[in-house]
Amino acid sequence: MMSATQTAAPDRDDGGARVQTARAAGLVACTGCGRVHRPDQTRCLRCNARLSSRDATSLQRVWAWWLAGLIAYIPANLYPMLRTTTMGHETASTIVGGVVELIDYHSYGVALIVFGASVVIPIAKFIAIAYLAYSVQFRRGKKGVLARQHLYEVVEFIGRWSMIDVFVVAILSSLVQFNFVASIHPGIAAVSFASSVAFTMLSAQSFDSRMIWDANEAVET
Amino acid sequence: MTETPNRDSQPAEMQVQQPKRAPWRNLSVVWLIPVLALAVSLAVAWRTFSDRGALVEIVFQNAAGVTAGETGVRYRDVVIGMVEKVGFSDDLLKVVVSARIDKTVMPFLDESAQFWVVQPKVTAEGVSGLSTVLSGVYIEGTWDTKPGTPQTRFDGLDEQPLVDPSDKGTRVTLRAGSGEAIAGGSPVFYRGVRVGRTETPKLDETGAVVLVEVFVDSPHDRLLTSATRFWNASGFSVSLGADGLRLDVGSLAALVSGGVAFNTFFSGGKPVEEGHIYELYADETVARENAFSEVSSNTVTVATVFVGGVSGLAAGSSLFYKGVKIGEVHGISAFVSGDDDRMEVHQQVTLNIDPKLLGLSGNASLDDVLDFLTPAVDSGLRARLNKANLLSGSLIVELVEIENAKPAKLERDAEPYPLIPSVESDMQDVNATLEGVMKRVNSLKIEDLIQQAISTMASIEEFANSDQLREAPKAVVDLVDQARDLIAGENVQALPELLRETIEELRDTIAQIRQDGVVARVVSVLESADKVAANVASASGEFPALVDDVRALAEKARDLPLHELVDSATELLDSADALIDTDAARALPDSLNAALDELRDLLSELREGGAAANTNAALASARSATESLQRATANLPELTQRLDELMVRAEGLVTAYGDRSDFNAETLSMLREVRAAARSITALTRALERSPNSLLFGK
Repeated sequence: MMSATQTAAPDRDDGGARVQTARAAGLVACTGCGRVHRPDQTRCLRCNARLSSRDATSLQRVWAWWLAGLIAYIPANLYPMLRTTTMGHETASTIVGGVVELIDYHSYGVALIVFGASVVIPIAKFIAIAYLAYSVQFRRGKKGVLARQHLYEVVEFIGRWSMIDVFVVAILSSLVQFNFVASIHPGIAAVSFASSVAFTMLSAQSFDSRMIWDANEAVET
Repeated sequence: MTETPNRDSQPAEMQVQQPKRAPWRNLSVVWLIPVLALAVSLAVAWRTFSDRGALVEIVFQNAAGVTAGETGVRYRDVVIGMVEKVGFSDDLLKVVVSARIDKTVMPFLDESAQFWVVQPKVTAEGVSGLSTVLSGVYIEGTWDTKPGTPQTRFDGLDEQPLVDPSDKGTRVTLRAGSGEAIAGGSPVFYRGVRVGRTETPKLDETGAVVLVEVFVDSPHDRLLTSATRFWNASGFSVSLGADGLRLDVGSLAALVSGGVAFNTFFSGGKPVEEGHIYELYADETVARENAFSEVSSNTVTVATVFVGGVSGLAAGSSLFYKGVKIGEVHGISAFVSGDDDRMEVHQQVTLNIDPKLLGLSGNASLDDVLDFLTPAVDSGLRARLNKANLLSGSLIVELVEIENAKPAKLERDAEPYPLIPSVESDMQDVNATLEGVMKRVNSLKIEDLIQQAISTMASIEEFANSDQLREAPKAVVDLVDQARDLIAGENVQALPELLRETIEELRDTIAQIRQDGVVARVVSVLESADKVAANVASASGEFPALVDDVRALAEKARDLPLHELVDSATELLDSADALIDTDAARALPDSLNAALDELRDLLSELREGGAAANTNAALASARSATESLQRATANLPELTQRLDELMVRAEGLVTAYGDRSDFNAETLSMLREVRAAARSITALTRALERSPNSLLFGK
């Protein structure tokens, strides 16, 4: 996935006060490959991606996916993630329930990983995306443009790791099928959690990070 | 968008202008996604909520193994719910299990619903709940198939109910004296086939009767009629009777857990309704005996108090009034009464009286019965213990009218039941009497008696066989022969001839007279005779002389040889009579009679011995008496045989004499007597053989 910055940053002073953007130069940068074009160009000459100076619907899409992810995240926590049947005895555990259980078994490391991947990271992602979108939409945060850019990169990078939980469920339920003795089935939460992660990733991707700099520009002018 | 050429030297400045559009027109399609996600989430939530079912509370005494979130609730082994919470009642006495029950079954959870915890259980009838060993316990519920008003709080059972509410069948109640042979879930048999099961026996309010509910499965419940009798089929029974030792063993399960059986001994009973009350009899024999007795639903209870022991009396013992059973003993309890100085133990016996058996209407109340009894008690009606029968020790209560009884009243207001006054029983001395009788029977010399009878018979036979007796008839025959010779003699033969001649002559004379036609003369003669008669009358003094002459003439006629003949015949018969009259012959029936008399005396003596009772000593004596009787009677056939032989011989003897003679008749009648005697001895012997106890009872 793309992680490079779309803008050239000649002077990396911490305030990020002066950044020459493509738009300021009267050009349009391709979001796919980073090449700049003249404004009348509609498609990237290199990668044939659609060119637009700023994506007007970006924020809408961010918010929409974000909301969808948040909605999906609620049942993901309320419903059981795994249904484990051992000797005819069925236990269903939710995400948090599973973490508590792991702590009960003194598997603190695993509990930490599960907790981090399933609870901390998604929630942090929600907060981060919401903060980014909010700051762009209402042109707040003249300072820390660079930090926000970093934040965005982290969010985009780390988002996929939340899928680790879903992977575990998928692998367990396909491997542990010993009928009566022990079997594991995914619960509703597995699906909603997977969709929640997918939605937040889409949300992060919909975010046009160039707008972070626009805010800076606007302050400048 | 139009370009505004404000600065022509500058390159064309890009117009970056956000078009002002209405916010809804600005909306992206991507907003459908969260809407969709929301819809799906709501749908899932709604489904979960609607599937969630209702929360019910089940109260258990304890809930071993029930875990929130793990223990399921099942109906017919299908999971219909899950325990959500296990808590306590407010007073911590009970466990309240909250369970979420599937909505589809909720309408059926009315007051018929029952819940219990299924745990592994091993009983005599099998192993159940084995699956819970691995999976943990679960709560099983059952209810009838009719939807009712749903409830949310139920009292859980300790164990699985014996009768499932959804089972079809009839529930009836058995009334028993004791519930010890019946456990909950005991089988109910009909002709050896299991058709139902019992509930756990319960006491009624008074505590005197055990009530057992019995559930008979459909379609076998149609076998239940008002003529049905139930009995206890528990385990095995041993009975010793006329047909030998008898051992009845029910099923193994019945041996362990008890059971009841029923049968209908006669047809024509009416179908019964749910809850019909039956009596539970001790065994099949008793049930059969009571096949016709109605179990009255209406009994009134009275009480009486006996001083002294009532051992042998039990609940269920009969209550008799004038020889008719009118009820039974309901219960016996002891209480202490009296003043401080002298405490006495009394036995209070409660009696159930069936007014119908007393002749009152079937639904007569206690007051009606008391109204009936009060005047009777005033005129001497008392309760008294008596022996049920002579040999067993069981007692009955009877209401008897005692003459000159001490005045007593029926205490209508006595607690807990109206009190009928009692009198002491007079049966205490019966035992002693019986023992004495038995001893006497035992010491009887029956063998000697029989021996004597046999020797008597032998001497009779000897006599009959003796030469003298055989010669005696010969002499008689000789006599008769001589008599025949005499009759055949000329003189005798001639006699009729002479008579005939005389008659002929007389007839001739009369004919002559008639021929001579002298009727007129006769008339004149009659006239003269008249005169003569008159003369005679006058001369009647001379008449006796005439009579004397006639008598002399007759005397002469009597002197004829015929006279002698008759005399000798009479003599002959007299001597024959004398022969029979001889001591030897006469002694024969006498001695027999005497022997029989002795026997009869003995028997009547025995009979006068009278009553009996059941002491072991007495029974032992009776047994040995019977044995000696048997030994003695072994000889009796011989005796009979001899009598028969004698009879045949005597009969042959008599036939030789021809018939119709007095001797013959008398001999025959004598012999008949002998034979009758022999028969009665045989009959007596047989009777004794058949029922030695008749000797005891004089029957």
